[in-house]
Amino acid sequence: MKPGVLSKTPTVKPAVPMPKLSPSAWILLALLPVLAVAPLVLPTYQVTLANNIGIFALATLGLVLLTGVAGMTSFGQAAFIGVSAYATAYLATVSAADLPGPLAWMAGSPLAGLAVGLVLTFAVATVLGAVTLRLSGHYLPLGTIAWGLSLFYLFGNLEFLGGHTGLSGIPALSLFGIAFDRAEALFYLIWAILLLAVVATLNLLDSRVGRAIRALRGGQRMSESMGVDSFRAKMTAFLVAALYAGLAGWLYAYTQRFVSPAPFSLQAGIDFLFMALIGGVGQVWGAVIGAAGVTFAKQWLQDLLPHLLGRTGNFEAIVFGLLIVLLMQRLPGGVAGWIAKVFERRRHRPTGAVDDVDLPAAEPLPRREMPAKGEVVLEAKGVTRRFGGLVANRDISFTVRAGEILAVIGPNGAGKSTLFNQLSCVDHPTSGEILFRGERIDGRTARAMAGAGLSRSFQHVKLLPTMSVLENVAIGAHLRGSKGVAAAALRLDRAEEARLLDEARRQLIRVGLGQYLHVEAGSLALGQQRILEIARALCADPCLLLLDEPAAGLRFLEKQALAELLVKLRSEGMAILLVEHDMDFVMGLVDRVYVMEFGERIAEGPPETIQTNPAVLEAYLGGVE
Amino acid sequence: MNLQIVMLLGQDGITNGAIYALLALSILLVFTVTRILLIPQGEFVAFAALTMAAMQGGTPVRLGWLLLALAAAALVMDSHAAWRRDGRIAVRRGPALGVAYAAGLTALTTLVPLAEAGVALQALVTMALIVPLGLALYRVFYQPIAAAHPLVLLIVSIAVHVVLVGVGLLMFGPEGARTEPFSDGGLRLGMVMLNSQTIWVVAVSLALILGLYLFFERSLYGKALRAAAVNRLGAELVGISPELAGKASFALAALIGSLSGILIAPITTIYYDSGFIISLKGFVGAIIGGLASYPVAALGALLIGQAESFSTFWASSYKEVIVFTLILPVLVWRSLSHHGAEDEE
Amino acid sequence: MIAKKLAVSLLFGAFAVGAALPADAQVKVGVVTSSTGPIALVGIPQKNSVPLLPATVGGQTVQYITLDDGSDPTATVAAFKKLITEEKVDAIIGPSGSPNAMGVIQFAAESGVPMLAPVGTAAVVLPMTEQKKWVFKTTQNDDLIAEALLEHMAKAGIKSVGFIGTADPYGDNWQKVFGEGAAKRGIKLLASERFQRQDTSLTAQGLKILSASPDAVLIAAPGSSSVLPQTTLFDQGYRGKIYQTHGAALPDFLKLGGKKVEGTILAASLMLVLDQVPDSHPSKKIASDYVAAYEKQNGSKPATFGANVYDAGLLLERAIPVALKGGEPGSAAFRTALRDALEQVKELPATQGVYNLTAADHSGFDERGRELITVSGGKWTLVK
Repeated sequence: MKPGVLSKTPTVKPAVPMPKLSPSAWILLALLPVLAVAPLVLPTYQVTLANNIGIFALATLGLVLLTGVAGMTSFGQAAFIGVSAYATAYLATVSAADLPGPLAWMAGSPLAGLAVGLVLTFAVATVLGAVTLRLSGHYLPLGTIAWGLSLFYLFGNLEFLGGHTGLSGIPALSLFGIAFDRAEALFYLIWAILLLAVVATLNLLDSRVGRAIRALRGGQRMSESMGVDSFRAKMTAFLVAALYAGLAGWLYAYTQRFVSPAPFSLQAGIDFLFMALIGGVGQVWGAVIGAAGVTFAKQWLQDLLPHLLGRTGNFEAIVFGLLIVLLMQRLPGGVAGWIAKVFERRRHRPTGAVDDVDLPAAEPLPRREMPAKGEVVLEAKGVTRRFGGLVANRDISFTVRAGEILAVIGPNGAGKSTLFNQLSCVDHPTSGEILFRGERIDGRTARAMAGAGLSRSFQHVKLLPTMSVLENVAIGAHLRGSKGVAAAALRLDRAEEARLLDEARRQLIRVGLGQYLHVEAGSLALGQQRILEIARALCADPCLLLLDEPAAGLRFLEKQALAELLVKLRSEGMAILLVEHDMDFVMGLVDRVYVMEFGERIAEGPPETIQTNPAVLEAYLGGVE
Repeated sequence: MNLQIVMLLGQDGITNGAIYALLALSILLVFTVTRILLIPQGEFVAFAALTMAAMQGGTPVRLGWLLLALAAAALVMDSHAAWRRDGRIAVRRGPALGVAYAAGLTALTTLVPLAEAGVALQALVTMALIVPLGLALYRVFYQPIAAAHPLVLLIVSIAVHVVLVGVGLLMFGPEGARTEPFSDGGLRLGMVMLNSQTIWVVAVSLALILGLYLFFERSLYGKALRAAAVNRLGAELVGISPELAGKASFALAALIGSLSGILIAPITTIYYDSGFIISLKGFVGAIIGGLASYPVAALGALLIGQAESFSTFWASSYKEVIVFTLILPVLVWRSLSHHGAEDEE
Repeated sequence: MIAKKLAVSLLFGAFAVGAALPADAQVKVGVVTSSTGPIALVGIPQKNSVPLLPATVGGQTVQYITLDDGSDPTATVAAFKKLITEEKVDAIIGPSGSPNAMGVIQFAAESGVPMLAPVGTAAVVLPMTEQKKWVFKTTQNDDLIAEALLEHMAKAGIKSVGFIGTADPYGDNWQKVFGEGAAKRGIKLLASERFQRQDTSLTAQGLKILSASPDAVLIAAPGSSSVLPQTTLFDQGYRGKIYQTHGAALPDFLKLGGKKVEGTILAASLMLVLDQVPDSHPSKKIASDYVAAYEKQNGSKPATFGANVYDAGLLLERAIPVALKGGEPGSAAFRTALRDALEQVKELPATQGVYNLTAADHSGFDERGRELITVSGGKWTLVK
């Protein structure tokens, strides 16, 4: 920590003597000794099961990230395992003479198998992701069903992969002189890789990229307007999931030492999805629970059902399916989700004090060069928007300057929302121009504008209810960081991450939510959620704030605090445009008011003159609200 | 490849495509009304075909027991819900009638030999078994979670499919079955002999598509279902309950599925697990239709039928690879014509 | 918390398995079948045949522990390991599928447990390797059946054949074996088409075969999937000779095919034509008894897949008394002795034919393991 940092931060933080252990760290600490002795005390068969569980859990971990966290469903996980397992098996069994000269060294090399397996998985996933991830949610599951099926049939038809009978005779794995020929030895390898993957996933989720991925589920419009590239985030999750499957495939080939098409069928893809959901949507440890749960459930059913039903056979699948239905009806969050919820209730109750104990102070992020006070930041020139025959905005022109608050008001149906959408680049004018700091921005994406310094809030609050307040706000600072997936997984992003979180903390304290940093955003009152949105917008270091009804749902004192905040921002040179219903709030605060009715301007000027403008009075008092 | 082969392959493609089209339509119907991807759609097809075959072969018809079990489960769930709501157990008429119906039909199909009853009556009994089965599936498995995230609905769909395939293996055994054709002979059109069953398939499919069109465009129930598909809340406000809409769409899907099964049972061997792969091709059709457009979905399904037929001729071992890879260009095209990020509710 | 859960489940898993262990059995035999999943049609008759296996051999009671692998090779490996390490079985009968069997050979061999595989592919015993020494195959090798068909074809003057097979290990192996045999006899393979068991239409394959106009067609498909190619060809007007493999040797073939499969020629074990084989045939009585017992128990006639498991029981019945001299059941010495004894089985009549095992041949059938059968008047008829 640099010596000058403390003086720059608004609140002085107490030193943190010992880092608090996260629940995952506790789980790891508890799990390690169990795993260390397990192969020594368990019979071989149990170790074999544990190995299978480890491999399944690795593939399921990818699905937890993809399905649980990012909200995308894929049946393709088994097929990805297959790609990698077949690549591994092929290279392990092929003779050097059968490979083209420069590649001959790959024959029999487990590491070459791993590399080729991962590269192939990556390549296939890239193509598949590119064509399905831009589409709405149901295309990915159906697309992966189709591709999983065609890959399954392809495996069976390729002569050099052993056709439907499969490739046998894979030698035992030997890495750097260590032979992994027995289930017990493989156990350590598999579980070490699995735990590393779990830790990497936890790290990834607790980072800038991780927040972007977590925002995919229900927060795409919001995160896009904060500069997050949703498609890229989806692709990241999809590729990481595929690579985990690739790793699992490599382990699978060396554990079974035989590959055939059947284990990579669609049925297996379905099983992985079951594991992810039983374990828990969005719970990283749920992957392990789910894989273990499904594996053991199948074992138990096979052992118990004949006793219960008095006859053998064929009931397992039925009972298993019914259990899944019941689980989905009773515990849609899965087992780990349920456990996490129970724990979550006990932690993080707001105490009234600023709750930033576990946050180290960090060097503030660099700020953008702000426009000089009085400079025109936003300009609308003859903006017209038609929907078919309906003209929602006709010839709207105004300017917003740095250090000024402009309010756009008007009765319901006046076209304010349409205008707001165009200003925030969600929608685009039919004719006319919108200029931001002198550049035309109509036609550009909301994401591009976030980077340019235009930041917004939403009329209907858009936040991620299960994420903490701090993390929600940190999404606003997405573009002010640059570290990627690898850095996040390996924790090389900590310095930057600390600066991002510190910025979020600073903005939250600034807007008066300092005591709620670690509570779930969804547990805040509506008014507080609106304030959170402003903090989030501020986190992007904007020079223009677009606020959509910021005072709606706020209590009197909260409104006062909001007004003070906006006044302060104005004095710092921020340009603010707000669309508002609340006249009292607007009149005491803003510099100028722009009044709309039926999509057209009816008045513009300082609040005092607007209040007495006959056209405005007519629109508000004479019209039906 | 000469012209005659092209004609024969085309005819084959149309026969299969017509079935896929029917399935694509019912998948689409259920999806738009309930947001459920009806993975078990194929089981309706397989169960109908195998039930017909069981009747004709004089082997025990066991489907009634499944229906009875589901009806009983529905009754229990309903009473349980009543108990939680009012604090006392009440048996409502609907579910009780359901159990009575299922019991009656089970008795009929197990006690009365239907082997000589004739195709029409057998088909009728089969549909009388399958259509309420669709309804009961919705009631027992989906209705309690109708408002859940689409992902949860999808998982339940798959689980129901797994359960039904397991039950199918128990009820019908692992070997396949086929039924007698509706009529013998065929129709000669130029140089091509049209198989009579092909004519049946195409004619019934067309009639069904026309019927669906009339139902949705003209009848009050059809319009209500469409309304429910467009706006659930709105439909509820004007008195169309989502439960009713869900049950109706499932019953329709089961009707279409059972008809498809009855239609193809004479021309092929159907196994207890055949339904899935058949309905998947319906899904591909529905995807081509963007999960929204009925005519495009039907055309897409017909296209799949043709693609399947010709690709089999070209390289039979790669048929499935080709058919399921066909979906990729469709996705690419949809992907390119799609803009922006949307949140799914 | 979660770690504890996992530990508990691991322990409980061990307990549940431990609890299922009865203590009184003397010889333990594991059975792994695919009684669910895509190859359930093979696995179910196999599972149903288990209760018919000998209950006492050489004064020892035999306990059979049946597991289902759901047609999944991964589950087969787990089931084998469970049987070997938990149940400490002396031998394993199974699995049902060829890939499943290929995947477990090494594990059976590593732990020294003889494995009697009722699967089609000869690859489980050929070429003989150190590991495959532990594997015995209780079905006729495909080439034995193919040889009979080829002989018939050669006699009938057939010069060219079209092939339709399932896209699975069965079809794969038949295409290979028949292709090689046909080449030796100068019979041309004109078209080679594949299909999936669940395909609803084989029109295109049929057209492809027809347009190649071969002298005869061979259909290689397991179970009732062997019917659709033949009825399709019939509907398309093909009236030439159609040959089937032993995969079609089941009652459903006639039921599903009806008039359209009249005249089919197939080579299979004598089970289909028991009433027509002379009483002198060494297998006749055994097969009749098996069919009767199976029918009594299950209410239907068995497919040959079940008989393959029954034969495995007969092999064990012959070998166990010999092996008992080598060691106590449950010991490695016993298992090795059992393997050695199995390899020494000579002239053992079983339902499928007569076994003569040697160190090089772990399938051990000769021409008594196949009959040429045709369909005539809606019935299986022995070709004399």
